[in-house]
Amino acid sequence: MEEKRNIGVYICQCGSNISDYVDVEKVREEVAKINHVSISKTTMFACADATQNEIVQDIQENNLDAIVVASCSPKLHLDTFKNVAERAGLNPYNYVQVNIREQCSWAHSDKPVQATEKAIQLVKAGIARVGYSEALIKTKISAENVVVVVGAGVSGMRSAIELADLGSYVYLIEREYFVGGRVAQWGELFTTNETGKETIRRLYTKLMEYKNITLFTGAEIISNTGTVGNFDIQVKIRPRYIKPGCKVDPEKLQKVIDACPVEIPDKFNFGLTTCKAIYKNFESEFPEIPAIDPEHCTRCGECEKLCDDIDLGQKDEFINIKAGAILINTGYDPYEPKTGEFGYKEIENVITLPQLKRLIELSGKELIYKNKKIHNIGYIYCVGSRQKDGENKYCSRYCCTSTIYTSIVIKNKYKDIHNFHFDKSIRTYGKLELLYREASENGDIFLQFWDEDPPVVSRNGNGTVVSIKDMLSSGKELEVDCDLVVLVTGMVPRQDNKIADILKAPIGRDKFFNEIHPKLRPVETVIDGVLISGACQGPKNISESVKSSLSAASKANSLVKKGEIELKPTIAFIDKNACVWCDECLKACPFDAIIKTQLEGKDVAEIVEAKCKGGGMCLPVCPENAINLKGYTDNEMEAMITALAD
Amino acid sequence: MSKVNTALASELQYYGAKEFSACYNCGNCTAICSLASEGNEFPRKMIRLSTLGLENEIESSLEPWLCYYCGECSSTCPRQAEPGELMMSLRRYLTARYDWTGLSRRFYTSEIWELGAIFLLAAFILVLFIFFHGPMTTELTAEGGVKLNTFAPWKTIEIGDWIMAAFLSFFLLSNIFNMYLKVMVRNNKVKIPIKLYFTTLWDLAFNFATQWEFSKSENKTKIAGKQFNISPYWIMHWLLMSSYALMLILIMVFLGWFQTDIIYEWWHPQRILGYYATFGLMAGLIYFFYNRIKKEQESGKHSHLSDWVFIVLLALTTISGILVHFFRIYGLPYSTYYMYVFHLMVLFPMLMIEVPFSKWSHLAYRPFAIYFAKVKSAAEKMNSKN
Repeated sequence: MEEKRNIGVYICQCGSNISDYVDVEKVREEVAKINHVSISKTTMFACADATQNEIVQDIQENNLDAIVVASCSPKLHLDTFKNVAERAGLNPYNYVQVNIREQCSWAHSDKPVQATEKAIQLVKAGIARVGYSEALIKTKISAENVVVVVGAGVSGMRSAIELADLGSYVYLIEREYFVGGRVAQWGELFTTNETGKETIRRLYTKLMEYKNITLFTGAEIISNTGTVGNFDIQVKIRPRYIKPGCKVDPEKLQKVIDACPVEIPDKFNFGLTTCKAIYKNFESEFPEIPAIDPEHCTRCGECEKLCDDIDLGQKDEFINIKAGAILINTGYDPYEPKTGEFGYKEIENVITLPQLKRLIELSGKELIYKNKKIHNIGYIYCVGSRQKDGENKYCSRYCCTSTIYTSIVIKNKYKDIHNFHFDKSIRTYGKLELLYREASENGDIFLQFWDEDPPVVSRNGNGTVVSIKDMLSSGKELEVDCDLVVLVTGMVPRQDNKIADILKAPIGRDKFFNEIHPKLRPVETVIDGVLISGACQGPKNISESVKSSLSAASKANSLVKKGEIELKPTIAFIDKNACVWCDECLKACPFDAIIKTQLEGKDVAEIVEAKCKGGGMCLPVCPENAINLKGYTDNEMEAMITALAD
Repeated sequence: MSKVNTALASELQYYGAKEFSACYNCGNCTAICSLASEGNEFPRKMIRLSTLGLENEIESSLEPWLCYYCGECSSTCPRQAEPGELMMSLRRYLTARYDWTGLSRRFYTSEIWELGAIFLLAAFILVLFIFFHGPMTTELTAEGGVKLNTFAPWKTIEIGDWIMAAFLSFFLLSNIFNMYLKVMVRNNKVKIPIKLYFTTLWDLAFNFATQWEFSKSENKTKIAGKQFNISPYWIMHWLLMSSYALMLILIMVFLGWFQTDIIYEWWHPQRILGYYATFGLMAGLIYFFYNRIKKEQESGKHSHLSDWVFIVLLALTTISGILVHFFRIYGLPYSTYYMYVFHLMVLFPMLMIEVPFSKWSHLAYRPFAIYFAKVKSAAEKMNSKN
């Protein structure tokens, strides 16, 4: 590697931030002595426009082949000076920033002499490094303007529509046989007063208007071999066992359903009722065609006898999709309480909030559970969230508001029902606070418990009693007779989360999908081209889910719409002659960015450029030292160490 | 372990408390209250007890009587739960709970009972006069005044006075005794030495005469930009109360001197005292009417039927009384007689209903509450020392 011969060095005073403690003139004098440093200057503010222009001028007039700026942290101004280099026609990777503010003047303000000495050493090391720097060019790869959206719940459907509007082709892949996800299960929703079904119908009708959206139901991604811009996805589509052209006649469908001998707990109603192997959860469910659950169907053929549109001979279908980006929108599962947790599954009238919401949907003018008319409902909050001892430390965000809204719906719909809320503190944040107020004004009673003193649900003769040490009346021990105890269960990640393995999408400590930066890059994952949104990323209510899905949609579209994607050049590079394929690097790489290939008959490793993140994990494990990281080569690092050791 | 009871909240609505379920327990009301103290953390504590429906604990609480409804809590409440109005309603509720006859509860919770009782008692007086009145002479005295004592001899009226007073005292005192049982005997965990009841007796007498605690509540007055540490509400209340007490003494003890056919000079004590009491009552009444109609102060914003009944009856009594006086000295016999009957028809139901069963009983319950609270805290201090 050719060493740079013509280096410019700029030492910044940062007003007086640096120069008060570091003798910048002395630093300049010292580095000016180094060979190949042709220009060395101190400056009041290196980042000022005038100085930037001066650097550009210096580079152009003196034909500098590398520059070093000794100033603040690269986090602040690395890009500033890279741009300066680029403006002057110099490759931005021939620039090195040395941090003499945070690392010298600020850290050693009590020892100015030593601070200056350290600054000199660091700048020397920077000069040594830039001497070995290479001009790097960003690589470009082609990208399909196609986005796969996984999950056709409310946010998946909304983002599909958005992407289609923005001009991307969308494949919407839903594991269930019907769209709508969790939202289709809910009745009236807070703030809009629209039911979940109506919301989904609205989205589905809109979705069907788009020619550039293809929806697959009963479908799952089973593998992926591609990378950003060119994901190569295989999708398995389970059969519905109903012929595609079927025109559904509700009466006939009912006859067929009645004929089916299989009876299983109805997942859609959280086990409150049972259903048959051939089913449709509610009449206006989409797609309109019913489905037969292959897992429970015994293939007895009873249904086929009644209906010509049923075809139990249908087989799994496999299709391949090329896509530029993937948007994961797989949602959540409601927390399932452990047996005995607040009497769950031990005391018959203890149910969960999702069950209550289904119960309301299924009930007529009276709220009846297990043949008993309900008068007093006790809600126990934070079941499976904000756990003191369990793993779910997080707040599930939606449940306080959802419970309170449900209690308002109950008050409006049924007469003579009293609501008792056993909470840890109510979090109806933002505008939803008004609902909390409404519930209080309705006469709902709120009782608050301490973490270490949760309420106790027990049987008392024929009835059920919830007892609590009430924080709001300084620990008074109170009892409430409840005919129905509702456990307000939070959100947990999907139990079946195979998609995470297939796409290598990172999972956080809480088992939800992890974004790169919760504030600044909230919908991107470290896997380029794989985006996340909605409740698969962490608890969210519907509006929050949709907001994140729209953000992910525009992010996905902006990534693929140009037809090509620029990649960072600071990635690993393998000297194939030295490589002996021991597979240590492959094991160390968290992104699967290394593949085995052949060179003149021997096995060697190769970097998949679109996958490599420049993490450097493969470097130290290579026994042959055959791997280098561009921008951080051994030459550069060794030169720095030598300079520092001098 | 107590059972939460939702029925109380609905019952309290009849006593006037309609908004308190909006409370979310922030405690601003108690923080701002100038009368709440350690051990008596109202209104928040009382709101919580009411929400939970813990009737026994409310029944044994003195806090409602320690509140004078300055309204700071209500104007501070972030949820408009009207804590001040709840305290007022609890005073009505407690009055009903102390009353063992159950009449008070009827009067407070049913308009038919309240108004029916008034008309029934008024009719009773009317019937008495129809059958037993003296001659309605048009002959005037030498001074030109009406011979009222011929129509209604003061000696007969005085007997009626005393029978009524015996009734009132019996009911009021037995209700106070009931209050004592509920507050000091049942639900009481502190041992109270008998001696303390005597050593704190002064507080009872002092508060009975002055309702001094009232003056400490937050309704301060400003005159010419200067803040005075006294509540105008208390001044008006005291004026009304003292005038009422004076008038009561005049008609109960000195009726022979007060209800006379002689026309004294205007400066004579008999006339001066009568005018003072009338003026005090009228001034107080105008203030309270203004307060309830204008609704500027928190205490006037919510009026229960019993509040109106009280001031309307008192106003009618006062006006008819002063008219009787003038009709008599200006020699208008029939006007005097009819007005006199009307005067008693208003006065009698007012006293019979208000004193033992309704609003006026607070003049007795309040000083007793302060007295009991003092006794309790003194007992607690003694116990903690031992």
